[in-house]
Amino acid sequence: MISLPKKIAQYAFLIIFSLFSIFPLIWMAIAATNQSIDVIRGKMIPGTYLIENYKALIAQSDLWHAMGNSFKYSIVVTLLSLIVCSLAGYGFEIYHDKFKDGLMSVILLAMMVPFVATMIPLFGMMAKMGFLNTVAGFVLPSISTPFLIMLFRQSARSFPHDIIEAARIDGLGEFQIFVRMFFPTMRSTYAAAMTITFMNAWNNYLWPKVIMNKPETQTMPMLVSNLTAGYVTDYGMLMLAVLFCTLPTVIIFFCLQKSFAEGITGAVK
Amino acid sequence: MKKRFLATLMIVAMSASMLAGCGSSNDAATDNAAATDDAAATDDAAATDDAEATDDAAAEGEQKLTVWCWDPSFNIYAMETAAEYYKKDHPNVTVEVVETPWDDIQPLITNAASTGEYSQLPDILLMQDNAFQKNAISYPDLFVDLTDSGIDFSQFAAGKLGYSTVGGRNYGVPFDNGAVIACYRTDILEQAGYTIDDLTDITWSRFEEISSDVQAKTGYYLLSERTGEIDLIMMMLQSAGASMFDENGAAVIADNAALKNVVETFNSLVDNNALLLTQQNWDEYIKSFNSGSAAGVINGCWIMGSIQAAEDQAGKWAITNMPKLDGIDGATNYSNNGGSSWAVTTNCKNVELATDFLNSTFCGSVDFYAEILPSSGAIATWAPAAEADVYGEPSEFFSGDAVFKKVVDFSTKTPSNNTGVYYYEARNAVATAITNIQNGGNIDDELANAQATVEAQMQ
Repeated sequence: MISLPKKIAQYAFLIIFSLFSIFPLIWMAIAATNQSIDVIRGKMIPGTYLIENYKALIAQSDLWHAMGNSFKYSIVVTLLSLIVCSLAGYGFEIYHDKFKDGLMSVILLAMMVPFVATMIPLFGMMAKMGFLNTVAGFVLPSISTPFLIMLFRQSARSFPHDIIEAARIDGLGEFQIFVRMFFPTMRSTYAAAMTITFMNAWNNYLWPKVIMNKPETQTMPMLVSNLTAGYVTDYGMLMLAVLFCTLPTVIIFFCLQKSFAEGITGAVK
Repeated sequence: MKKRFLATLMIVAMSASMLAGCGSSNDAATDNAAATDDAAATDDAAATDDAEATDDAAAEGEQKLTVWCWDPSFNIYAMETAAEYYKKDHPNVTVEVVETPWDDIQPLITNAASTGEYSQLPDILLMQDNAFQKNAISYPDLFVDLTDSGIDFSQFAAGKLGYSTVGGRNYGVPFDNGAVIACYRTDILEQAGYTIDDLTDITWSRFEEISSDVQAKTGYYLLSERTGEIDLIMMMLQSAGASMFDENGAAVIADNAALKNVVETFNSLVDNNALLLTQQNWDEYIKSFNSGSAAGVINGCWIMGSIQAAEDQAGKWAITNMPKLDGIDGATNYSNNGGSSWAVTTNCKNVELATDFLNSTFCGSVDFYAEILPSSGAIATWAPAAEADVYGEPSEFFSGDAVFKKVVDFSTKTPSNNTGVYYYEARNAVATAITNIQNGGNIDDELANAQATVEAQMQ
C-alpha cells in the first residue's frame, strides 16, 4: 500500500510529464481551428476557422488524393516488408550457423550507414533500372530493413525449439512450420513491426520525393512540406494538414498499442 | 574468434569506404567525360526524338512545358498566369507546374547532376538567387545558356541580373524582387517623437540612436533578427557593394573592411538595445513584428506579405529605405535579400519554346506583371513593368504609400554582389564567427578563422 502523499506526488509527476508530451498534439488541434495570425500570436483557445482552413487547404492542394497515395504506398511497403523481414529474421535464428551469423553482423553494420549517404547511388541504380516515377522505385529499397530483421531474429530467439521439433515429427514442412506455428505465436511482434514500418513508410519523405516527382504521386508529408515553402505561411491551414497527416498513424498506434509494447519487449504467449 | 571476425569486418568496411572516397574524384572526372559523351549521344538521340516529337506534336498540336516552383500564392500563381497569357497566342502549348519546395529542388538537382540522370528535371525551374551561381558553376551541364536566346537582359536591374550571370553568360531570367525595404510602425514612432522621415536616408549610427531611444520610451524594438541568422549582416554587406568573395571566387572574409564594419555595427545594435534577437525559428521572427515586440522590419520586400497578415495593424506601417554603413566607400541605403530567377534546364527538349515562353511573358509583357502584382505582390525586376498603372497605386496598409513603385526604385539602386559557389558555407562560417564575437571573441581572429574554415571547404 502506497501512502497518500506519495501517491499524490506520483500522479502529479505523471500528469505533468504527460502534459509535456501531449501538449504539441493538443496545440496542433487548437491551431487547426484558428486563423494564421492567431496561431502566430499564440492563441490557446479553439477558434472558429476550422471550416475556412479546410476550404483553403482543399483549394490549394489535393488532400484526399495525397491521403490515398500515402495509404496505398504505406500498406504495400508494410505488407511486403513484414513478409520478407520475418522470413529473414526467422531464417537467421532458426537455421543459424557461423556464416549466417557473420552475414547478420554485416546487415547490422549497414544499419549504421545513414540514408543520405546511399541516396545518390541508389537513385542512379533505380534510374538505370527504369524505376523512376514508379511505385516499385519507392517500395523496393524500403522492403528489407536491418532493424526489422533484427527484431524478428530477436523474437525468434524466444520461440521454443521444441515446438519446431514436434511439428517436424508430426510431418509439417519447414515453410508450414513458419506459417502455422511461428506466425500465430509471434502476433505481437508482427503488430509491433507493422506499427513501426507503417509509420516509417507513412512519414518517409526524402526518398519518395526523389524518386517520384509527379503531382499525381504526391504523399501527405510532401503535401505538408509544400505548404511551408512560400514566403508567407498560413499556419492555421498548415496545422490542419499536419493533423490530417498525423491521424492515421495515431489511430494505428492506439489500436495496436498493447501488442506493440509486448512485441518490442519480445513476449511469447 | 568472434571479435577477430568483427574486427576484420570493420576494417574491410572502412577501407572499402575509404577507397570509394579516394576514387571518387577520378571517378567524377571519368563520369564527367562519360556524362558529356552521354550528353552528346543523348543530344543526338534527343534531336531525332525531337524531330519525331515535333512531328507528333504537329500531328496532335500539343506542346508541354514542365515547371518547378514552390509558392501557390506567389510564383506558382505567377507561372500559371504567364501560361494563360502565352496560351492566348499559342493555344497548343500547356504549362504543367509541379509544386516543388526549394528545399527539395536542391537535392533533386544534386541527385540528377551527380548521377547524370537529368530526365526527371523539368524544362524550367525556379532558382533561389543565392544558390544560382553555385549550381551553374558546379554543374556546368545543368542550365541552358540564355545569352543569345533573344531575351533582352539589359531591361533587368544589374544588381539582380548578377545572381544568374556566370562568366559573363546569362543563365537565368530574373523573376521576383528581393529589394530590401525598411518598414516601421508609425504609431510607435510617433509615441517616441519621430516620423518616418527621420528614418529615411540615415546611417546605422543614427538608426541606433533612434532605435535605442524608441526602445527606452515605448518598449518596442525597431528591428528584430533571429539568433544565429545572418540575413541582416548580408544585407548590410551588399548595401555597400561588398561581398564575401572577389570576382575570381576567392574568399575575402578576413581583411574585409566592409564586413568588419558590418559585424561591429551589428553587435553595437545588439548591445545598445537597438536590435531584438528572437529565437532561432522563422515563426518567432514573424511573431516579433506581428504581435508587437518589434515595431520595425528590415528585409527583402517579400516580407510585406507577412507584415500584412496582421490586419489590425493596417495603416500603421510605412516603408522607407534601409540605413547605410558609416565610413565605408560606396555605402548605399539599398540592398537585396532573396528573390529568385527562372532557369531552363538541359533536360528541356524544346529550348526554343521555353525561351520564347519566358521572353514573351516574364521579359515581355507589362500586362502580365500588372495582373500578377495585386494578388501575389510579386514585384517585377523587369524595368518596363513599373510603367504599369498598378505599380503607382497606393497601399492602404502602408499608410497610402505607392509601395510597389518604391520597391522597383530601390531595386534599381542596389549594388550587385558575388555569391560564388561557396556562398552558404561562407554564411555559416561568418554566423559562427559572430556568435563567438558576441561571446567575447576578438573580431579579427574570428573573421580570420571564418576565412580559414571557408578556404578549407573550398579545397
